[in-house]
Amino acid sequence: MNRFTKTWWGQRFIEALESFTGAGRLQRGRSYAGNDRIKKWQIIGGLVKAEVRGNVNPYFGVYQEPTYRTSMQLKAISATHWNNLIKIMSSRAGLIAKLMTNEMPETIEKAFVQSKVQLLPENSRDFDVRCSCPDYEVPCKHVAGLCYRLASQLDRDPFLLFELRGLSRQKLQEALAKSALGQILATTLGDQSDLPSATDSYYTRPKAAKVPDTIDPKAFWTGEKPLPKEIEAANPNRIAAVLIKKGGDYPAFWDKQSSFIFVMEEFYERVRKGAQI
Amino acid sequence: MNVLHIHWIPTQTEDFVQPGKFYLWVETDPVPGRKSPGLHPSHLRKEALAEFLQINFSIKADGFNRKLAESMVRQSIFLPALNEKPLPSLELLSRSADEDAGEPGNLASWQIDSYPLDAPIRSVREIHFLASYQSDEIVLGRDFLFWSYFTQSLRQVILKDQYIPVLLYRDTKSRAQPKRYEFYPAWQIQSERYEKLIRDAVGWIPPACANGFDKESLLRHCGEVLIGESLRALNKKLPASFIKQVKDSALEVFCSESGIKPSSGSGLEAVRQWHGWRQKLTGKQDEAGFHLCFQLNEATPDHADSWSLQFQVTSRKDLSYKVDLADYWRMNHTERSRIENQLGPDFEKHLLLLFGSAARSYPSLWSGLECEQPTGLPLTLNEAFDFLKESAWILEDAGFRVIVPAWWTPQGRRRAKIRLRSAGGSRGTVQGPGTAGLSIQALLDYRYELSIGNEPINREEWSQLVEAKTSLVHFRGQWMELDRDKMQAMLTFWQEHGEEGGRISIADLVKKLAEENDTFEVDPEDSLNGMLSKLNDPSRMEVVENPKQLRAELRDYQKRGVSWLLFLENLGLNGCLADDMGLGKTVQVIARLSVEKSEGKSDTPTLLIAPTSVIGNWQKEIERFAPYLNSLIHHGSGREQDPEAFQQHCSAQDMVITSYPLIRMDAKLFNLIEWQRIVLDEAQNIKNPKADQTRAILRLKAKHRLALTGTPVENRLLDLWSIFNFLNPGYLGNPSQFRKNFEIPIQRDHAPLPSITLKKLVEPFILRRLKTDRNIIRDLPDKVENKQYCNLTKEQASLYEAVVDDVAKRLDASEGIERQGLMLSTLMKLKQICNHPMQFLQDGSAFTPKRSHKLERVIEMLEEVISEGDSVLVFTQFTEIGENLTNLLKRVHRWNSYYLHGGTSRSKRERMIAEFQSPDTEASIFILSVKAGGVGITLTKGNHVFHFDRWWNPAVEDQATDRAFRIGQQKNVFVHKFVTLGTIEERIDKMIEDKKTIAQSIVGNDESWLTRLDNDTFKQLIKLNKQNVVD
Repeated sequence: MNRFTKTWWGQRFIEALESFTGAGRLQRGRSYAGNDRIKKWQIIGGLVKAEVRGNVNPYFGVYQEPTYRTSMQLKAISATHWNNLIKIMSSRAGLIAKLMTNEMPETIEKAFVQSKVQLLPENSRDFDVRCSCPDYEVPCKHVAGLCYRLASQLDRDPFLLFELRGLSRQKLQEALAKSALGQILATTLGDQSDLPSATDSYYTRPKAAKVPDTIDPKAFWTGEKPLPKEIEAANPNRIAAVLIKKGGDYPAFWDKQSSFIFVMEEFYERVRKGAQI
Repeated sequence: MNVLHIHWIPTQTEDFVQPGKFYLWVETDPVPGRKSPGLHPSHLRKEALAEFLQINFSIKADGFNRKLAESMVRQSIFLPALNEKPLPSLELLSRSADEDAGEPGNLASWQIDSYPLDAPIRSVREIHFLASYQSDEIVLGRDFLFWSYFTQSLRQVILKDQYIPVLLYRDTKSRAQPKRYEFYPAWQIQSERYEKLIRDAVGWIPPACANGFDKESLLRHCGEVLIGESLRALNKKLPASFIKQVKDSALEVFCSESGIKPSSGSGLEAVRQWHGWRQKLTGKQDEAGFHLCFQLNEATPDHADSWSLQFQVTSRKDLSYKVDLADYWRMNHTERSRIENQLGPDFEKHLLLLFGSAARSYPSLWSGLECEQPTGLPLTLNEAFDFLKESAWILEDAGFRVIVPAWWTPQGRRRAKIRLRSAGGSRGTVQGPGTAGLSIQALLDYRYELSIGNEPINREEWSQLVEAKTSLVHFRGQWMELDRDKMQAMLTFWQEHGEEGGRISIADLVKKLAEENDTFEVDPEDSLNGMLSKLNDPSRMEVVENPKQLRAELRDYQKRGVSWLLFLENLGLNGCLADDMGLGKTVQVIARLSVEKSEGKSDTPTLLIAPTSVIGNWQKEIERFAPYLNSLIHHGSGREQDPEAFQQHCSAQDMVITSYPLIRMDAKLFNLIEWQRIVLDEAQNIKNPKADQTRAILRLKAKHRLALTGTPVENRLLDLWSIFNFLNPGYLGNPSQFRKNFEIPIQRDHAPLPSITLKKLVEPFILRRLKTDRNIIRDLPDKVENKQYCNLTKEQASLYEAVVDDVAKRLDASEGIERQGLMLSTLMKLKQICNHPMQFLQDGSAFTPKRSHKLERVIEMLEEVISEGDSVLVFTQFTEIGENLTNLLKRVHRWNSYYLHGGTSRSKRERMIAEFQSPDTEASIFILSVKAGGVGITLTKGNHVFHFDRWWNPAVEDQATDRAFRIGQQKNVFVHKFVTLGTIEERIDKMIEDKKTIAQSIVGNDESWLTRLDNDTFKQLIKLNKQNVVD
């Protein structure tokens, strides 16, 4: 896995790019994926347009810091095909359920096979890329940077892939609304995971409370309700790490090839055995 | 007295990271004088505190401080104060005799020397545990008890893996660099149980613990710091192999040894990722109006891979409303919308969301969702096994319902076991060689068999199963799980021991089955099993007839008790009869002896050892219920000391009654006889195994042993061990084994398994009926009246005699009002003497239980009642008794008690009653003077009523008793009337009982009817029977 994408679909997108891009351009491209290089970017009708800050390069005759216009487009899927595809998607509860959790189902390609089209790009034939830079090689590092950026965006928003393939969000919603299952997905579209708010303190900060002026000793030393007599027996769970297993393996923040759940299981077990509790 | 307190004190800081610590300090008895402003005048200063902790809790200095005293920290805490002195905490306050000591004080800040606790969750538990072994002079404050409960409950978060890594971020908001963020790795508690704990603890926490903070935020701070610190403390111990696994991953910063620091290399994007992940764990399942269920359907044996998971939904409102999804999809529109009424709106949307979240926990599920209308999922045998073993638990924990076949449930599961069968035919042979020893140990002949799910199985079948390649096998018509390693081990065991079999005592058999429950079982068809099941469930026992000669009609549970005693003794086992107080243990023992006598089975008497205060009661009850039993009291200075004569006296008896201390003093005499049976009344008296008294008792020889106790002995492990050491020596191991195997894991670590094992070990030998058991309540009247007979002490007797002699002289010489006055004042004096010498002497001498067996017995019984969690009303006519008893209960025993007398103000009276009645108040004692408490007061929380002294008028007594026994009383009420033997109290009690002598009409509203007796009758009435004096 690379640092731009952790999902299988983002990965496939990158693999397609890498299949027709030179290793040097790719490598340099990676440093062009951040905000310091990509000044702005937008998607209009499936076309991704960006302004990328270039380098001064006397060799190419560039003496002032340039801004290049870079764009990328995937081969669009025709409207008739889309109608058909959405119909197929809407007949699979699993596909819809997974999309509702904001993930691209692994089996989505199977649904597309019948129509002989593909959702995920495979090679250069799926890409139309341009850049105003003087580099003779296509794709250049700016294109590569933009694609890396897109891949990480895809992680968060798998529906972007539909857009890149020519189906706008509005049309997607309209098409989904035609079927019972699709309708359900349409209503949850746009529920994105938000950024939590910033924290003011690492631990909950104990707030001061006003103390009464006078109090009788009995009220001072006893709570409002009596403390239970027996402490509940300390029963460990039968299955380790049940809680985190609900989130599935390979969460977005996990960069490793090895299983996150596996590592956490070991951690929890070490804690249960070794913590001074 | 030393009272241990702890305070959770957050570090005073505005920093982003605000830690906190527990500080322990020790409050002592108030000392007069010695004052320095702001410093708590009566607590252990640092040197003394260090010494105290070293001696009592073996706390040592850490590496940095050579002396423990250097670790002490001065802290300030809020305490209520009066007259510039902090008020003592409740533990000390309850010793104070001053009635106004509970007056409010001004909250002020006080300085104390304190010891900061490291690894607080563990330290608090250990100190709590060790404190119970210290003398009564070391007491845990209520604040300590609260924090102990809170911190120990926090352990669950760690033991159940209910915390997750999260990434926090902070906006440092400096003016120079707005929107500058710092990112912190943190452990977050994610647990319903924890949230409930916080909610509950807000109600439990005493203001003393809150110490000027808002309760909830303080509790959360404490919980988060303790969990976070416990986890981070572990990082030092993580091995390199683990560190390697998390290297260069998002978890690396969580395993760092360097404390809480902002992590570099994170960004808002990472925060979003962590947050998104966390949201998946919390889920939104509660929004749906239904539960998604997964039912595992088993395969047929011919198609071992044809398992399936069937999808169903049940209504949240009505769990019995269940719809199979396959049926749902077949329904038409109207039928479906009808279903929405039951399952809530947006059914299909929620269904899909639930499927999505379930499939994340159980990825195989996706393949069941590749269609428009999912109904189920086929599984292979291995997939089904994985589902049962793990996924089902995860799904269940994630809030889904999982239905598995009955054979997988703990009740329905068939297990492979080694079975014991009695050898030589199907009937068990129980042999009871009457060898002279500690007790008869009946031996059973047995041999081993292999079995699965209660059916015997031969070696070939067993081997086939061991060699099976799958974990689930279809065996004799049902699926079952195989644990091949264990089965292999059993096979080996059986091959080594199978043929030979052996002999085992019943106690050892019970022990084997309790401790190796997973491996051994008894053939359910075998007579052995019938015996064991009776042992484990005495309600299966055939009930004996009421013994013919017995002058009492036993209640049904008492008959069962007698059967149980018989059953155990026939098997050569010794048991403990631990019925609740008031259920009649004495009469059951007397019935047992009656049966024995009628069968002519004993050659030697039973030796009853009892506290001095109940000797009289035993004698009286034998007299009442079984006058045909010959009994002898061996007690007092006039007791037989000549061995030969002692033996001779004893041989004519059915029962010899003596007190605990005499066993040691007269050991030579008692050791002469091999007793038919030793009965220990109030058997908790032998709880100290090292005491000479206990050792002397253990040396006695007897065929049978029986322990009686009314305290919940199962919960007091030391008592339990001691009693078993008397009944079945060695059964629970030696003290250090017992401590290691049971006491520490159960009482300190709250581990569930050892307590289950212990329960199985002891249960067959303890018969404990509670007065709250439904079966018992059915047998009992709403009001159970008991008399408690006690003897006079020597001191009481000589005072009593002097009064009687004096009045005898003066009575004949007086007439009219003078005579009447003399008689009434005599009655009064004698009552006082029967209560306590101090009351009569009015000399301010000590009000100690030693000087009055009645007081001694009252205290013993109060202890029993309180330990059962019941509340009690104590009536007396005398303010001296009321006052002194209140002081004694508060000061020495620290029981919550109230005293209502004629002088109590109305508002105070109402406050006391409300407090006593409140369900939140602990079990308490309410002392009332008969006159003040006679009418118009409802005290239904008390379900025991003690009449310390008697009002010689049944109507007045009944009226008092009715304080407890009136509308609103949910429990049976036990009335205990205390009567001193050989005195006026016993005789008038008899007169009242005997309604022929005194018609109800003669007995007026007061005691003046007594003055109408003629002189001789009166003298007879008050005469002292010296035989009833016991010192």
